[in-house]
Amino acid sequence: MFAELIARLRSLWRGVVRTRQVDAELNEEFRLHIDLRASDLVRAGMSPADAARKARAEFGSTEDQVEKARRARGLAWFDALRFSWLDVKLGGRMLIKYPVLTIVGGISMAFAIWVGAGTFEAIRQLVFPVIPLPESNRIVVMQNWDAAANRPEFRATHDFVVWREALQSVDDLGAYRTVTRNLMITGGLAEPVFTAEMTAAAFRVLRVPPLLGRAFVEVDERADAPVVAVIGYNLWQRRFQGDSGVIGRTVRITGVPATIVGVMPNGFAFPRTQELWVPLRIDVTGYDRRQGMTIQIVGRLAPGATLGQARVELTNLGRIAANDFPRTHEHLRPQLFTFAESVQVFGGPEEWTMLLTGNVFVLMLLVLVCANVGLLMFARAATRETEIVVRSALGASRRRIVMQLFAEALVLGTVAALVGLTAAGAGMRWALDLMRGELTDGSGNFPFWVDGKLSPLTFFYTVLLTLLAAGIAGVLPGLKITRNLGDRLKRATAGGGGTQFGGLWTAVIVLQLAVTMGFPVVTFFVRKDAVKIETYPLPFPVDQYLSVRLEMERFAVEPGADTSVAAFQARYLAAAQELESRLEADPAVAGVVFGERLPRQYHPNNQVEVDEGAVTPHDERGHVVASTSVDTKYLDVLGVSMLSGRWFNSGEVGPDARVAVVNKAFVDRVLGGKNPIGRRIRYPWRGQSPETLPWYEIIGVAPDMGTISGWGPAGIYHPLVRKGMYPLNVAVHVRGDPNAFAPRLRALAADADVTLRLAELMPLRNVVNAEVAFHEFWVKMTTIVSAMVLVLSLVAIYAVMSFAVSRRTREIGVRVALGATPRRIIGAVFAQPLRQLGMGLLAGALLVWVLLGGVDSAPTANQFLILGGYTALMMAVCMIACVVPTRRALAVQPTEALRDT
Amino acid sequence: MTSAELLPGTLDVLILKAVSLGKLHGYGVLLRIEQISGGALLVQQGALYQALARLEHRGLIDSEWGTSENNRRAKFYRLTAAGRRTLGEETASWKRLSDAIGLALSAKPREA
Repeated sequence: MFAELIARLRSLWRGVVRTRQVDAELNEEFRLHIDLRASDLVRAGMSPADAARKARAEFGSTEDQVEKARRARGLAWFDALRFSWLDVKLGGRMLIKYPVLTIVGGISMAFAIWVGAGTFEAIRQLVFPVIPLPESNRIVVMQNWDAAANRPEFRATHDFVVWREALQSVDDLGAYRTVTRNLMITGGLAEPVFTAEMTAAAFRVLRVPPLLGRAFVEVDERADAPVVAVIGYNLWQRRFQGDSGVIGRTVRITGVPATIVGVMPNGFAFPRTQELWVPLRIDVTGYDRRQGMTIQIVGRLAPGATLGQARVELTNLGRIAANDFPRTHEHLRPQLFTFAESVQVFGGPEEWTMLLTGNVFVLMLLVLVCANVGLLMFARAATRETEIVVRSALGASRRRIVMQLFAEALVLGTVAALVGLTAAGAGMRWALDLMRGELTDGSGNFPFWVDGKLSPLTFFYTVLLTLLAAGIAGVLPGLKITRNLGDRLKRATAGGGGTQFGGLWTAVIVLQLAVTMGFPVVTFFVRKDAVKIETYPLPFPVDQYLSVRLEMERFAVEPGADTSVAAFQARYLAAAQELESRLEADPAVAGVVFGERLPRQYHPNNQVEVDEGAVTPHDERGHVVASTSVDTKYLDVLGVSMLSGRWFNSGEVGPDARVAVVNKAFVDRVLGGKNPIGRRIRYPWRGQSPETLPWYEIIGVAPDMGTISGWGPAGIYHPLVRKGMYPLNVAVHVRGDPNAFAPRLRALAADADVTLRLAELMPLRNVVNAEVAFHEFWVKMTTIVSAMVLVLSLVAIYAVMSFAVSRRTREIGVRVALGATPRRIIGAVFAQPLRQLGMGLLAGALLVWVLLGGVDSAPTANQFLILGGYTALMMAVCMIACVVPTRRALAVQPTEALRDT
Repeated sequence: MTSAELLPGTLDVLILKAVSLGKLHGYGVLLRIEQISGGALLVQQGALYQALARLEHRGLIDSEWGTSENNRRAKFYRLTAAGRRTLGEETASWKRLSDAIGLALSAKPREA
């Protein structure tokens, strides 16, 4: 039994790998056989020539014998998939012979592969990040999970110390925490830098040697050791101009002098986008468990240890801690993941569904586009019907003919895949750039594992896509065209129009029309939405303002400082007010104003309830509007006047102030344009009884000033209580160029308080929130995709319809010869395309209706007009596709048509 | 004696028998079957190589290249251990079948 299995496998292997050799040996055997038989016949008295002829005739076709022998070896399946170099060459020749099909089909497939590969790569990078660190799959992170509160507990310094000593299956346990620090180089201005406080062990875990100098050693972690720092490559290039003598230089990190001891190589930004590392000093004396700073714990699995072993060990430590310290640790469950698992952006089931939907959409696009190309290929194959029937008569099997068409499609697909992959490679960087605002953490950099390059897995996926594409575009038309070849051969109707578009192709055309109609319509609506945000007019000269977010480090590096929340708030408020007065004293400044949010920034949104007079909301979510609180001088500094009612006065600033100003969009949308002054609003919270919620009286209506929330421009203003508000945003009205004032602002901030950080300092004009950025990205993508789909579809629809009509040239000629009037003929010819068009447009309208189900407002008359025009365009293309070949057919002399029959 | 077509399924066992008597090339197998059947059995040339490939694929025969009687390179087939076992089983089964058919066909009216 075993021997037989081995023999079978060996024989299969030979047949697959050494196909040529096996075939050549068989032919050699056959020749010997025929020669020996001929010799025997000669000995029996036959002439050599007759003997040779008889021997060959007795043996039969050697090609046939080879095929039978191969089948006997179980190679039929392999042969079915095999195609020769000749097929590939023929395919290449066809590409050159039919340039229009090559270009249209090639672009279509390249486009589909581009979208497919790009999406796949983006998903791979987000869902299955590959961490570019040595043996990164053995780097693990640990955290406590608070099962009672259902959230992680990062205050784990006590646990860290215990785990570091106890864990056997994890080597070198390190800790880090991410902070932002003001970096000040002698003679330069302070700049906030994404920083990680890290232990020496954490550096060892990562196994990345510094480019210059050294990483941390345990001594650096001691409280009395001098402060040292390691800088990232980009920071080194940017702030030190790549100076190789940087080691030993002293900088100030949030006011504290520190010596640079190392430079990390390019691409190193652990844990995400950090560029500066300072030692993490963990001292667990003086505070209890679950107190103190929050940390992240990282380690490397010991040689031979598995993830499972480490988990078991850690779980046991968790049980012991829960037993020993029930007050703090009763509900804590230690968890352990690989670093890659811990940084997955999309991990939840909802995100998975979303990603899956995205990929299915892409696959549908691919299938549709390839079916499109398949239609074109089918049309071309139909013109080669004579050739195909003759080949079949000469003994080519159906499989051979289908494989040849597959080879042609594969050649086309391969060229398209190369183009598509190149585009995807470039597109990845482009897409990442567009999504920068959405996916980065404020540093403007992507996490160090996102590199915008295509992975080998994506190349493999592209190969699969190409095979699928070639299968749809080559095999389907091949199967269709070779059906009933034998019958056609018998009827000798080759080239007589025996090939017709059947139900499958009608379905493809209808689907094509429907999607062609649906796609751009959706884009159009999306685009309209985005344009509204982009060109959202602001009623003040936005170009004259600088915007900045004020931040400050609560855990100051200075030892002994009071780090309580109250002390921090007082320190922050004092620094902010100091900066405000310094700014107001500056001759270049016309005004300064603080706010929870500034115009064009993303605003938090809340469901809002009006005491009476509100219009009925669209759905059960009710009226959702943006709200923010701003200084009382907000309108003065922005130079905006109220539309009606009044703005807040200084007496209304306080935790008990129950007043609100709404904007024009709020009046229109929520109150249907009715006067809001004197009405009251409140914010219903889930799970709270409405009676306990405070009402706010509307005292005035302001113009729309960029309260963007993703729910439209409707917004509510409340007076800002600065105390306790963190972080504050500042708008500075500058006389002259705001950009030129930025360095001055940095200097003033450093003077006010050296620990004050200026985040996202930029002209107010440039403030575009992530929502808008992502929206723009989505709009650009859908616009490009729809434009491509539209053009390709129109070309394909034209080609296929005109082909279908031109196939009927002879029929038309015969009808004319038999006395049919042109009107009757046109009616007959147009019937089928019109039916397809009708069904397609109907399906398209349905699709649009379904797709627009989520849009808030019903389409306006204008939108209907555009939809109508668009439908007319599609009808025109289809009509022209029918008219041109019909005219040509009508011009054919009836005698010619009859003669050809 | 007139020659007869082979019963379906018997070619494989005849080939095994032929190569059990000594290694043979394809044409030699054909001649040997004719010879040992006293010229009574004719093998379709078209079926021979398919059967050889099948038997080799199943590991019942093995092949190697050698030199033929006319000094040409030829592929010689010989029986493997598995083939010998199969030949024994098939021969016994064939004998039982043939005896049974012989018995049935020689039945006289009064025995029925």
